Amino acid sequence: MGGAASQLPKEMVSEYQELTFLTKQEILLAHKRFSELQDRDSLSSRVPMEKILTMPELKSNPFRRRICHVFSTSEPNDGSLTFEDFLDLLSAFSDSATLEIKSHYAFRIFDFDDDGTLDAGDLEKLVNCLTGDTDETRLNPEEMRQLIKNILEESDIDKDGTVNLSEFQHVISRSPDFVSSFKIVL
Amino acid sequence: MVTHLGATRDRGYHGYQQSLRSRRGPSRMSRDGPPHLDLASSEDEDPPSRTPQKLAMPMGIKKAVRQLQHMQVPVSSKRTRHSRALKHFYAEAKETLAILIPWRKAIHKIGGHFGGGVQSYFVFLRFLVVLNFLSFLLIAGFVLIPSVVLSSPNNTPSIPNGTNITGKELCMKYDHSPEVLPVFYTFFLDLLSGTGFMEYTYLFYGYYSNTVAESKGVSYNVPLAYLLTASFYFLFCLVCIILRMGNVVRVLVTTGSGGERGYSARVFTDWDYGLQGDRATGLKQNTIRYRLQVDLEEDRIRLRAASLSPGQTVGLYALRALLNLVVIALIIAAFFGIAEATSFSQREAVKWTGVVGLLLEFLPSIVITASNFVVPFLCDQIARLEKLSPSTTVIVALLRAVFLRLVSLGVLLFTLWSQITCSGKADDTDCKICRYNSAQYQCWESRVGQEMYKLTLFDFLTTMVLLVLVEFPRRLLVDHCSCKLTRWVGRQEFLVPPNVLALVYGQTVVWTGALFCPLLPLINTIKFFIIFHCKKATLFQNCRPAIKSFRSTSSNFFFCLVLLFGWILSTVVLIYSMAEIHPSFGCGPFRFSPTMWSVIQASIDNLTKTTQDFFNIIGSLAFCVPLFLLSCVVLSYVAALASVYGKSVAILREQIKQDGRDKQFLVKQIKDLTRILGVPKHEEDQYDPGASWGDHHASASPPQYLPNVHSFPSASHY
Repeated sequence: MGGAASQLPKEMVSEYQELTFLTKQEILLAHKRFSELQDRDSLSSRVPMEKILTMPELKSNPFRRRICHVFSTSEPNDGSLTFEDFLDLLSAFSDSATLEIKSHYAFRIFDFDDDGTLDAGDLEKLVNCLTGDTDETRLNPEEMRQLIKNILEESDIDKDGTVNLSEFQHVISRSPDFVSSFKIVL
Repeated sequence: MVTHLGATRDRGYHGYQQSLRSRRGPSRMSRDGPPHLDLASSEDEDPPSRTPQKLAMPMGIKKAVRQLQHMQVPVSSKRTRHSRALKHFYAEAKETLAILIPWRKAIHKIGGHFGGGVQSYFVFLRFLVVLNFLSFLLIAGFVLIPSVVLSSPNNTPSIPNGTNITGKELCMKYDHSPEVLPVFYTFFLDLLSGTGFMEYTYLFYGYYSNTVAESKGVSYNVPLAYLLTASFYFLFCLVCIILRMGNVVRVLVTTGSGGERGYSARVFTDWDYGLQGDRATGLKQNTIRYRLQVDLEEDRIRLRAASLSPGQTVGLYALRALLNLVVIALIIAAFFGIAEATSFSQREAVKWTGVVGLLLEFLPSIVITASNFVVPFLCDQIARLEKLSPSTTVIVALLRAVFLRLVSLGVLLFTLWSQITCSGKADDTDCKICRYNSAQYQCWESRVGQEMYKLTLFDFLTTMVLLVLVEFPRRLLVDHCSCKLTRWVGRQEFLVPPNVLALVYGQTVVWTGALFCPLLPLINTIKFFIIFHCKKATLFQNCRPAIKSFRSTSSNFFFCLVLLFGWILSTVVLIYSMAEIHPSFGCGPFRFSPTMWSVIQASIDNLTKTTQDFFNIIGSLAFCVPLFLLSCVVLSYVAALASVYGKSVAILREQIKQDGRDKQFLVKQIKDLTRILGVPKHEEDQYDPGASWGDHHASASPPQYLPNVHSFPSASHY
């Protein structure tokens, strides 16, 4: 850890501390883990998504690809992350991030087609991620239909057939343990 | 007209948007960058305190915002540093305190791999281990060690003045040494059944004597200590259970009894992003899928039940009533079996020695354990015919099993009682002289203690035998042999409710026997400790993750409730033994007292006059009745407070629903208005999420940050 600290200048660490919800130790640990993933140590280099997905914290997460896509700032959006994207990711998933941040990013993760709302297709993909996306573990079409109908009935306030961010945040605000489960700690 | 309307509407609309933006003006830090930096966070936050941390933006934008903030307002970060240091300190303190809790890591690992239901079983087991250990320390400190220290070498009982023991020489006979020549396996048999060499030890009531030691003005009254320690032990256990229940109930009430959570809340918030590894992920996915399927099925059943014809409903209810009668008949049959076995065992066991004698000694335990296996199994099969919803089935099965276990223990105790006191008839030939059946029970307290000791031991042996002879071989069989039978049977699944009931039963036995066998809490601590490690081992080695998981928050409350029932049963036994049954003449610290409770009266008489008056006043009617009335008043006040809170929670829930309806109404109004006024296309583009994606930075904020539904009601420009 001491060796990694010498590679990341102190002003940058304190700047990152102000811009994210991470503590100093978490930033240094993130830097160490990120350097292990990349070939050469440079803050602007990108790590491709496949390498990011080898991390044990993300390897089995059913939302891992969506998470990489949401936090990636690359032009063709191939899911590759720079170190700053990585810090953004960890900040949103950290202990001290606010409910607003977490719900915002959760919405974007669940928005599989990136159209700004959760429609029936997004919800179906979401439920498949939750139950396991193999033939034995998916819900049958009848149950899926019933479930999506119930979800839209409960959360779609303006009855447009989709769940937008406000409706999503409205549902989230009533769940007290969302903040503690939306957490990834290295 | 239309154009004029359109123009004013246009201006009004734009003006509205502009004024809205200007109300949020201070938030527009960078006029150049993306305009909508204001999140769903509250609009009335002061700009300087909105740190760039809280922006859901990529790092580049946050850096730019920070630079602008620095240029505009000198950021004083002392307060944030201070608050951050304080938060850090609290986290560290909590971390260090948590180290003191035993098995924290093991339980955490269990929870991660097998889910909350199984974890709650182990948490409950840990609670019981700690409770038993503290009880043992209590008893050791006040009863065991003083007895060891103060016991006179020849152990002759000191007869207090004023007791009439003429004619009671027969009652004072207590022959505890074995009559037959010891055979080589007698040691082992005695160890298991608590007779022989084990009977006259500190383990059982019979060894303690009524010494009142006095030295240098400090006196220690062993009988009084014995009694008071037993009472305090029960109160201590009650306080622990209630504290634990209070914590659990608080969690339950605030989260509003989980069933209220709709499907949307579950689908959006159920995933735990901290899970690592395919096994844990697979388990979580299985759990979520099972819960969803169960709830969807319950909905379908409810719909179907609502659509049943009256004739079918009546038929269903008649079938359920009949099945309940069958279940009750089964349980009563079990009770008869236990009563018969107990009386048979008590009569015959003394006549036989060796292995047959051992079997007869253990006959009540065997019958109880057998019924605890067979009857719930039959009830489960019956429950399938009842066609209840899955969650109701689980609860009903649990209630039946609890009833069976606790009442069968009660039947055993009742049978013992009827034998000891000749069914309460004081004039019976056996009980006339000594007020208890001294022919059969020279020291009835030790016998009761032995029964409880045997029950505890047998329960422990059964658990171990099952583990070794059933669960491990089953796993070996399933893993190595792949015939159809093994595939159908599959690996063991760790069922939480039967295991918890076994714990509650064991603890109730210990509570009942603690008065007669003071070292029983220590034995129980060791037993539960070993069971913890063995169950953990079997969980990880032999069990597969359960598909059906037990809901953990409500189950914690249920476990404590069942434990409370067990406590009540053992308290009834304690109070009856202390107040009604005549202690044995031949053994124990209460010989020569008419009841155990009279020791207290005797020691109060030894105190000063004022203290005696004080106790007399407290015990008298003039004090107790007002106290009782006062506690009734306090109880009704608290009940009224609770109902008021419940009503306000219901009102708030209604209000939330009403808010939702208001929103729907207002949104509908907006839609109608926009439709009527004919909003032009380019305005609607601003709401079109797809358009603005490419305009700004690659992952700029989605346009949901435009004036959203929340702010409409507050607009005064309508």
